[in-house]
Amino acid sequence: MNRLLDSIKLLALAGGFHFFSSCSYEPEEPAFGFYPSRNFPPVEYSSPRNPITREGFELGRDLFYENGLSLDSSINCSSCHAQTHAFADHNVPLSAGVGGKLGKRNSPALINLAWMPQFMADGGIVHLDVMPLAPITDTLEMALPMQMAIDRLKCDSEYRSKFEKAFGTDTITSQRIFFAMSQFMLLMVSDDSRFDKYLEGEALLSDSERRGYSLFNTHCANCHTEPLFTDYSYERNGIDSEFDDLGRGRITLDPADDGKFKVPTLRNVELTYPYMHDGRFFTLEEVLDHYSDEVEPNMSHRLPQPLNLTSAEKEDIIQFLKTLTDYSFISDPKLAEPRR
Amino acid sequence: MKRFILSIGVVAAALSFSSCSTEEEPTPSPSGTGTLSLNFDYVWAMSSMPFEMETVLYHPMTGDSLTYTTFKHYVSNVKLIADDNSTYDVPESYHLIDLMDESSTSITINNIPADTYKGIMITFGVDSARNVSGSQTGALDPANEMFWSWNNGYIMLKAEGTSPQSGTGNFVYHLGGFAGQINTVSERSFDFPNGSMITIDNNDQLNVTMQANPARLFHTYGSVSNGAMVHMPGPAAVMMTADFNSWVRLTDAQ
Repeated sequence: MNRLLDSIKLLALAGGFHFFSSCSYEPEEPAFGFYPSRNFPPVEYSSPRNPITREGFELGRDLFYENGLSLDSSINCSSCHAQTHAFADHNVPLSAGVGGKLGKRNSPALINLAWMPQFMADGGIVHLDVMPLAPITDTLEMALPMQMAIDRLKCDSEYRSKFEKAFGTDTITSQRIFFAMSQFMLLMVSDDSRFDKYLEGEALLSDSERRGYSLFNTHCANCHTEPLFTDYSYERNGIDSEFDDLGRGRITLDPADDGKFKVPTLRNVELTYPYMHDGRFFTLEEVLDHYSDEVEPNMSHRLPQPLNLTSAEKEDIIQFLKTLTDYSFISDPKLAEPRR
Repeated sequence: MKRFILSIGVVAAALSFSSCSTEEEPTPSPSGTGTLSLNFDYVWAMSSMPFEMETVLYHPMTGDSLTYTTFKHYVSNVKLIADDNSTYDVPESYHLIDLMDESSTSITINNIPADTYKGIMITFGVDSARNVSGSQTGALDPANEMFWSWNNGYIMLKAEGTSPQSGTGNFVYHLGGFAGQINTVSERSFDFPNGSMITIDNNDQLNVTMQANPARLFHTYGSVSNGAMVHMPGPAAVMMTADFNSWVRLTDAQ
């Protein structure tokens, strides 16, 4: 209802602007761009050099689904970040790159990236505009040197034309590739789950889901904070007593950060199994069992002791988590692979 | 759900930011502009013999035999110091020197305002802001493979090659880090020789020659057998770059 009202206001505004600017009465589409959810905090992404346009977004989408950005043209970003899985991988613990080489961590879901201050489980990437550099060039992933990516695109007249439409000239640079990809990824906004509708008074939760929500607020929301269902902090989640993967500590070089990983969003968590930085748990039941009964003593001080949940409580929390699945996000044609 | 539009604001912000930054660039002096030619020579160790790539070089302090196949480093934020101690800050001053590409050791900077200058300031490495500001172009383009994709920041100095003293036969030093204790970036100030002042009139060229010494990487670090690979920010990178950067000298200005 509110959205409808806003749409009307928006059209009125656009229409008014149009009237003054040209006195034409042709109907005008609403401006293409980034529509942050009203309930979300201010966005983190800041690049005044990179305003979103339809042409830039569509170019970014083409690049996201472009096999030519992998060394042997076998995979693209969506190979490990599939829309059907909320842009996580297809339910495998570790993802296969070029030549079947396995990566070292579970492929993260790409959700609400405009609000994310740092990227990757260890936060080593500090700007969305350089995020694709790692998966494109990493020899365990797409394994393509950036200069080769640029050269391949330059050889493609369709891409030259698309860069011209997006950026004014057909010059292809790494920066333009990254700007276009950011424009696409910024619009990966998930804010339309049944839980969101419930908050807006447009959907109901079952008794179990409401009990789960209450338990979630008591036990989980400290780190998995609404509305993004993460506070983007780095914490130890008590799954290991020794760390094969230093996580955040590898970036900060502070031993106190060893074994810490970014708190992931729980939006669409039903779709993004397996869980944890290495994908060791395949079900939400296993995750809840872990936090309830099995945490190591080095667990974050924000969860000082195991939760000791009953099986009924675990089930209620899981029922609540499933209300965070956003079917309009995973079926949004705007984010899907374009037909060619 | 209520939503609002940000994109128009973003465009407006983009326009205002871009116009601001051009306004801040110093306008050319009415008396015209000249050119700065900043040249880097590379010498080896105490003997100050010429440094050469792909040549076996003996390190007198460590006893290592080293053959460099890659030597690249950033210099940035060049500033000319005028006789009244004001500075002319060269805009967008980022330069990648690659010793396998002789032409890159000579940096030409146009639009130097006519003035009387007594020295130069050079940053070795890339200032912290540009390490965290997203995608850059030119010398800072990540396609140059001088940017860490997994732990953002520039490789300020990259030295690779072979040495029989290395366990693997190779050495790989990717030196960077720009924050806190792990800082490999340093800004240095050099007076022109003998306190000389050089006046640049319209169309004049100021030639400044610097000298650097790749042997200095091992001055405190010691032999490559102490560790033939450094590929992340850390104390080793700080030590090696500090020894390299602090040795650099200005040998000529005219």
